[in-house]
Amino acid sequence: MENIQKKELIKLNDLSVGYSGKVLIGDIELSIAEGEIVTLIGPNGAGKSTILKTIARQLPPIKGAVYIDGRELSKLSYRELSETVSILLTERIDPELMTVRDVVESGRYPYTGHMGMLQKHDDEVVEEALALCRIEVLENRYFRELSDGQKQRVMLARTIAQEPKLMVLDEPTSYMDIRYKLELLSLLKKLRDLRKMTIILSLHEFELAKVISDRIICVKDRDIIKVGSPGEILNRKVLCELYDISEENLRILLHSMESVV
Amino acid sequence: MKKRRAIRYGVVFFLLSAAFFILMILNINTGNVGIPVPRIVEILSGGDEGSSAYSIVRMIRLPRLLMAAILGGAISVSGFLLQTFFRNPIAGPFVLGISSGAKFAVALNMIFLLRVYRSVSSWNMIAAAFLGALITTGFILLVSRRIKDSAGLLVSGIMVGYICSAATDFLLTFAEDSDIVNLRGWSLGSFSGMSWDNVSVAASIVTLITVLSFLLSKPIDALQLGENYAKSMGVNVRFFRILLILLSSILSATVTAFAGPISFVGIAVPFLTKSMLKVSKAMVVIPATFLCGAVFCMGCDLIARCAFAPAELNISTVTSIFGAPIVIVMLIRRKM
Repeated sequence: MENIQKKELIKLNDLSVGYSGKVLIGDIELSIAEGEIVTLIGPNGAGKSTILKTIARQLPPIKGAVYIDGRELSKLSYRELSETVSILLTERIDPELMTVRDVVESGRYPYTGHMGMLQKHDDEVVEEALALCRIEVLENRYFRELSDGQKQRVMLARTIAQEPKLMVLDEPTSYMDIRYKLELLSLLKKLRDLRKMTIILSLHEFELAKVISDRIICVKDRDIIKVGSPGEILNRKVLCELYDISEENLRILLHSMESVV
Repeated sequence: MKKRRAIRYGVVFFLLSAAFFILMILNINTGNVGIPVPRIVEILSGGDEGSSAYSIVRMIRLPRLLMAAILGGAISVSGFLLQTFFRNPIAGPFVLGISSGAKFAVALNMIFLLRVYRSVSSWNMIAAAFLGALITTGFILLVSRRIKDSAGLLVSGIMVGYICSAATDFLLTFAEDSDIVNLRGWSLGSFSGMSWDNVSVAASIVTLITVLSFLLSKPIDALQLGENYAKSMGVNVRFFRILLILLSSILSATVTAFAGPISFVGIAVPFLTKSMLKVSKAMVVIPATFLCGAVFCMGCDLIARCAFAPAELNISTVTSIFGAPIVIVMLIRRKM
């Protein structure tokens, strides 16, 4: 796969990200190819979400720029942005009286007409997204009634229904049990392989990151400390450094995982 | 599901329209002078001109009834827009103090202008009410930046409401006698004494703003998922929120300018409507809320006129009796 020359989709050019004028992580240079899955790992509060939000234009860059398909992100119209990037946030939503299907249908927002009426094609896309996330049976349930894990899958289906070029997923595995975590991974791979979708996500589970990612970015103490393929990054030394854990504790953790199997 | 929903919409709209027509007849029919239904039909179609029944229906009951319907719908839609804005079902023009702010501005404007010109136009009253509503809303917005929880927001709104009401009372105490007669009833809320001129002004503003709100159904729905998701769907959230607050303020200002503050309708009616429809899609909820608000206020006005005739109750007294318990039910259901 590496030998195929891939088109660049995202370019972070001398990018500084942060909140209200204060730089959290500065001078990021990164290029992401179309169809690549890039995972951000690192401890809580390191700045993963801030990077993701800036790439999705939820936050303005403090310095530098994000380029998508050769165009500066901040120059896209609202409509173009929504057709290009979809996002899954960690914030929880609480929509009143919206069914699962209503929530997923909201992903079609950029493609529907002025009053938001769905066409036949939109229905098909929505149904496909429901099926991909295995929530067809929940379709008519009210979103508020669901468990956190189910809600997370609904929000993921919404992100897929938006049919973007780039999916930005902030901790998509949170609240999910192990089965759905694994299903999520194969789903993301499917989206990449079949739809050439580019996916940038953050994960807490480095073992999952290893299986799914084309590239891993380690974020620690408001800095990107390492970028590389899973093979290069995910060794004991880097993990110990990244999460500030002793070799001994990591050994216990890895051992406990193995001992189950 | 789509079919089930469509049937539900149909039933709700049918019931509301039926209630609308029944209340319309009842409102014309009952009062100090009872007018039987055949006479009403005759008068409405232009017959019986010159009789006292004719002038009662044409000059008093019909404009009052239409005003109750138009303003009741307006205050309900205004509440719905505010709830969308604050993403909080207990937001409404009355509890947030917006109605009282508008009331104070109108009272100030009236007393001042009456002294100078001896007359005040509807447009002038609306402009003053709008200004008052905007200032109060601006204040509530400032508070809502500091106070994130809805209980705090609500308490500060109620306090603002009390301050504005107190200031209005203060003004009324010092106003000249002739002004007071006009202002007393109005400052407590009433649909009485509406002219056809009032009706046409209110109808044109309310229709325009309600239609505009209806056309914003799509971004209103998007905002249900929170600002950040709305942004990612392509909504210009900052601009859109300003638009929402303007539309909502114009509606509550129009209501206050003509009928004074009307309590709890703005919260109770959208809640009732959504509970009946079991959906929150603005495209359905906005027209249904308008209709339901019209029915609610026509019903309340009927009670205000007739319950203790010849004495008349303030409209807010009646809307509170019915509206406040609904709000309490809503709060209990929400906690569960």
